[in-house]
Amino acid sequence: MEFHDSFPDYEKLAQHDNVAGVSVRKRLMNVFWLLCAITIVELFVGFYWSHVSHAYNISKTWLIIVFVTFTLVKAGYIVMSFMHLGDENKLLRWTVLGPYCLFVVYLIYMVTVTEGSYSQTYRNLIDPALKMKKEAPAHHEE
Amino acid sequence: MSSHAIAKPQGWEGGTSPFGASTGKLFMWFFLVSDALSFTGLLAALGFMRHKFADIWPNATDVFTHLPFTHAHLPLFYVGFMTFDLILSSVTMVLAVEAGHRCDKKGVTLWLGLTILGGAIFLGSQVWEWAIFIIGSPEGAMRTMFVEGHWIQQVFHGANLQYNEYGHTLYANFFFTITGFHGFHVFSGVVINIITFTMVLRGVFEKRGHYEWIEKIGLYWHFVDLVWVFVFTFFYLL
Repeated sequence: MEFHDSFPDYEKLAQHDNVAGVSVRKRLMNVFWLLCAITIVELFVGFYWSHVSHAYNISKTWLIIVFVTFTLVKAGYIVMSFMHLGDENKLLRWTVLGPYCLFVVYLIYMVTVTEGSYSQTYRNLIDPALKMKKEAPAHHEE
Repeated sequence: MSSHAIAKPQGWEGGTSPFGASTGKLFMWFFLVSDALSFTGLLAALGFMRHKFADIWPNATDVFTHLPFTHAHLPLFYVGFMTFDLILSSVTMVLAVEAGHRCDKKGVTLWLGLTILGGAIFLGSQVWEWAIFIIGSPEGAMRTMFVEGHWIQQVFHGANLQYNEYGHTLYANFFFTITGFHGFHVFSGVVINIITFTMVLRGVFEKRGHYEWIEKIGLYWHFVDLVWVFVFTFFYLL
């Protein structure tokens, strides 16, 4: 049994001819090289981070900012280009992206107000005990 | 259809899809939105636990240092390879979708076949990485364990859901849960791709007149790649 909408052939909407295919493929390959390049940079940063941060005393927050930015750029290219969300109409685009905008707002709320401040308090409480455990040789359980 | 439909009604009056997409594709998107939210939940939980136990959370560069067939010490090398493999299989999938848009059966067969290969390599890599993670190093680490009614100090090798030699118990739990959940998605993706591959060979889509099915399973496959991008960053790199 096949499903077909009784109205326009949306299944055939994205079809194109051989001529258009060449430029489409070129665009896709460009995205692919960009994704590869970003991944290589990410690996290098991850690999050398501990050396560099010790030498120049850089906070880990910068590492997080750099990686999150790279990740979001990669995700954006995958969703918009590979998944063709950029070619869909506005309503579909925002139906998909809307929930995440909402989630990001909630995540910021959680990090700054509720859970984040709880684990910060927990860390401040527990830290001295942990440090003692860490310094004691052959006994760093958990 | 009425003259109303010819005038291309916009929005919700009926006669057209307000989303400008077929029902199948629309619901694939809706499924992916909800599926992505469950991954987001796992990764957010990982983030909070990492923050809470930041001082004893192991570095991935100290844990994932192995490469198959060698004894070399190469941190994150193999995970990087897995990432490239998934990006590569993602681009072959998008090329299969593009060939589908031109109703090019040969192209779809080729690119979809390569996508299946890439997925299989990724799955094999993940099995290997799990095995190395579970077996652990010969040195192991001291752990306080509950054995036969007593708490004792004992050297523990590798990892399970209760103890692991790398750091906090939650580290192994998150590793198994997140990469396992993702790996299961890859597995089901490969199965769906193989089924689709046989459908292409049988000429199902030629009879149908369009290859939109490839586009739908392509959405799922790219989603799997998308999740790995986040897992790669938040579990392995940070």
